[in-house]
Amino acid sequence: MRSPRTLAAVLVATALLGACSGGGHQDSTSNAPEPGTLRVLASSELSDMTAVFDRVHKDTGIRIRPTYMGTLDAVDLLAKGKADGKYDALWLSSDAYLRLRPEAAKRVESETSVMSSPVAIGVRTATVRALGWNPDQVTWSQVEQAVQDGRLTYGMTDPARSNSGFATLISVASALSGAQSALTDADVTKATPKLKEFFKGQKLTSGSSGWLATAYKRRGDIDALLNYESVLKGIPGLTVIRPRDGVVTADYPLSSLTASDARTREDVRKVTDDLRTDAVQKLITDTTHRRPVVASVAPAPGLDTGRRRELPFPGSRSVADGLLDSYENTLRRPSRTVYVLDTSGSMEGDRLSRLKSALTGLTADFRDREEVTLMPFGSKVKSVRTHVVDPARPRDGLDAIRKDTRALSADGGTAIYTSLEQAYGQLGVDGDRFTSIVLMTDGENTAGAKAGDFDDFYRRLVGSQRNIPVFPIVFGDSDRSELQHIADLTGGRLFDAQQGSLDGAFEEIRGYQ
Amino acid sequence: MSDSESTLRDVRRIAGIVLAVLLIGGVVAAVVTGRNNGDTSTATKTVRAVIGSEKAEFFADPDVVKALAAKGYTVKAETSGSWAMEGLDLKGYDLAFPSSQAPADALAAKYHAREPLPRPFYSPLVVVAHRSAAAVLAANGLATLDGKGRGILRMSAYLDAVRHDRTWQQLKGASAHGELSGTLYIASTDPETSNSGALYLAAASYVANGGKVAAGQADIDRTAPLMRKLISVQGAQQSSSDGPFRDFVSGAGNPLVLVYESQVATLLTQQHGADDLVVLYPDTTVNSDHTVVPLTDTGRALGELLSTDPALRRLAVKHGFRPQGDAAEFTAATADRATYLNQKLTGVRQAPVPTSTVLHEMARRARGQ
Repeated sequence: MRSPRTLAAVLVATALLGACSGGGHQDSTSNAPEPGTLRVLASSELSDMTAVFDRVHKDTGIRIRPTYMGTLDAVDLLAKGKADGKYDALWLSSDAYLRLRPEAAKRVESETSVMSSPVAIGVRTATVRALGWNPDQVTWSQVEQAVQDGRLTYGMTDPARSNSGFATLISVASALSGAQSALTDADVTKATPKLKEFFKGQKLTSGSSGWLATAYKRRGDIDALLNYESVLKGIPGLTVIRPRDGVVTADYPLSSLTASDARTREDVRKVTDDLRTDAVQKLITDTTHRRPVVASVAPAPGLDTGRRRELPFPGSRSVADGLLDSYENTLRRPSRTVYVLDTSGSMEGDRLSRLKSALTGLTADFRDREEVTLMPFGSKVKSVRTHVVDPARPRDGLDAIRKDTRALSADGGTAIYTSLEQAYGQLGVDGDRFTSIVLMTDGENTAGAKAGDFDDFYRRLVGSQRNIPVFPIVFGDSDRSELQHIADLTGGRLFDAQQGSLDGAFEEIRGYQ
Repeated sequence: MSDSESTLRDVRRIAGIVLAVLLIGGVVAAVVTGRNNGDTSTATKTVRAVIGSEKAEFFADPDVVKALAAKGYTVKAETSGSWAMEGLDLKGYDLAFPSSQAPADALAAKYHAREPLPRPFYSPLVVVAHRSAAAVLAANGLATLDGKGRGILRMSAYLDAVRHDRTWQQLKGASAHGELSGTLYIASTDPETSNSGALYLAAASYVANGGKVAAGQADIDRTAPLMRKLISVQGAQQSSSDGPFRDFVSGAGNPLVLVYESQVATLLTQQHGADDLVVLYPDTTVNSDHTVVPLTDTGRALGELLSTDPALRRLAVKHGFRPQGDAAEFTAATADRATYLNQKLTGVRQAPVPTSTVLHEMARRARGQ
């Protein structure tokens, strides 16, 4: 089997990044130890737990300070020892992947599961009716059939960056392969044609569950979302189905770390004990739609207690990574991205070299079949160069991107809106790819079309072109509100390279491409 | 290099991993007990102990703290995986208290602890199932049910099913229950890092080896394919027996889960009328023998106190453990849970546990390492 290039690249990028993140999460500089505060490396799915964190603080006097990160990144950070001294506890949706990496697992002292939520599919109620489904009886094979018949489209999070996407991928692969026990490489190979069909139905990808829900609501043309039951229950209008042939369940273990001192571990224990009390378990299930892990508390109303087969998580890293690799490079629809890059005069020097180094680093992460257009601009668009990563000769496309990157030079004004309009023109309509625009600028718009012009331009777009989001990156002296407006208008999301790094922002956006 | 050398090296390597990973997780280290509030007139003696994590709740229980203080002891307990204790530097500790005999024997040899080792209480491994799964097993000759909440798992029939890759779908009656599908197996913890997972292999290998404890390379080789199957079908395994048990309680996870009887007994005190629970006692099982390895005279005295003091024995029962020697105490105290607990372990045979070296090697092979 081919080496998992994508995954390796994700991990390399993480190593460069450390704990920082471009997405407005807490960055590492503010993560100094503080008595009475637990610095928790957490899955982003836990961002719905604020009320529970407040309650724990009230009960124990201990404050939980989460830093959100994807499972793979978090496990890698741990494996490299980079979490030592920076975090006091780990709280992922599941430690299943962590257990496949002994270097990471050995840094975990003890783990205690706090609540659970299975993978599920949330389908628009009208679609459920149209398909004639009885929600209790639906199987993954039926879902796949509906996709194949063109009657079902869906969105899911990126398995390389989000735990919910990863668990979804395992669920789907296990179920569609017909594997009777833990997935093997042979199962994955056997299931590949079916999985390809299945993932043709994926019309929306996201680096986080939160943005997935937002984009789903905005789009209106997507029938379903795959995610944890707890996430789907929070989105109105969805019928939440746990397929009959099995699901992977997240059990949210709060884990203490071997690098912590005894007092910190005692704090983790106190928090864990509090989380397991009846009162807090009830608060968890009532406010987050997750299932309690103590027998004395019933799941919140609306959580169907009928049992489902638990699909085993792969027992080896090669199977898990191999599946991820095929998803990224073979199974999923490829992406098409225009990078609209500010190379105005103000980028001269350090900023330009940071841009070059970030882009060059990113080339290690581009997937097979991916189409990448570089559109550097100053007072106007300077050039438009498109490269495709050909699976037969991936290096050719990547080398070409690196070569174009080296040739970037800084001069001229900043024509943000004119360049964006040109990017939309470049992208046209192609239903077979995840299409998006990345906008990196270090200043305010000084040339060409104005903000209002772009608003008018965007509103005149028709059909699937209106579904193309712009992901702006705040960098240098750029105007945050101007860029936020572009993100809001186009259904994108703002990324921050002022507090985090430019590499980090580019890397985080990968989950949305 | 000879085979035995390489095996030994592997064992050391595993011990290293085990040490690092921490065995039976559950409750975190450094459970400081015995807060002396100054309200006792007798000065207490501080005892430093390293204990298996499933006993952390016991030592943290205020009633236990009080009972120990009444006898003049303040116990400062830190948790460690039972198999990991071999790798710790226990200088300055008064006792180690692993959760089974094999690591205790290894520790006793290393620290020249005098035999016999106090063995205050034990708990057999059992399998929890929902009623539907238990009924299907019974209908297919894999189990016998004794009343509504408990039964006996027929190990040789079960291992036979595993040998033949039996799926739930092949068992009659399973199709009525959607969750009963896929390969039939008992979910255990990782045998390389966790005591209960390792003891699962001890029981299974004893049955597979014709009722003889696996003693050497030939026995390991003979049983290895089946042990590998028991583990590999499970995929990623948890490192603490609390994890799969919680999954079970929350309605997720595998239909059959291996746990300590003490975990079930404790659950039943918290929730009476666990309507859908069936506790299956394997007809050949292994006890988790909580064994004290005294490192000082104080440690030995505490170990003996735990074994003999009526109040402490009562408290052990409260935490679901069976005190050694007198079965009546456990029977009396769990009368309200007799629907689920096989109080006298009728029809249950105890398999001896292989030596630490054999068990480590067995676990390594089972994990496909």
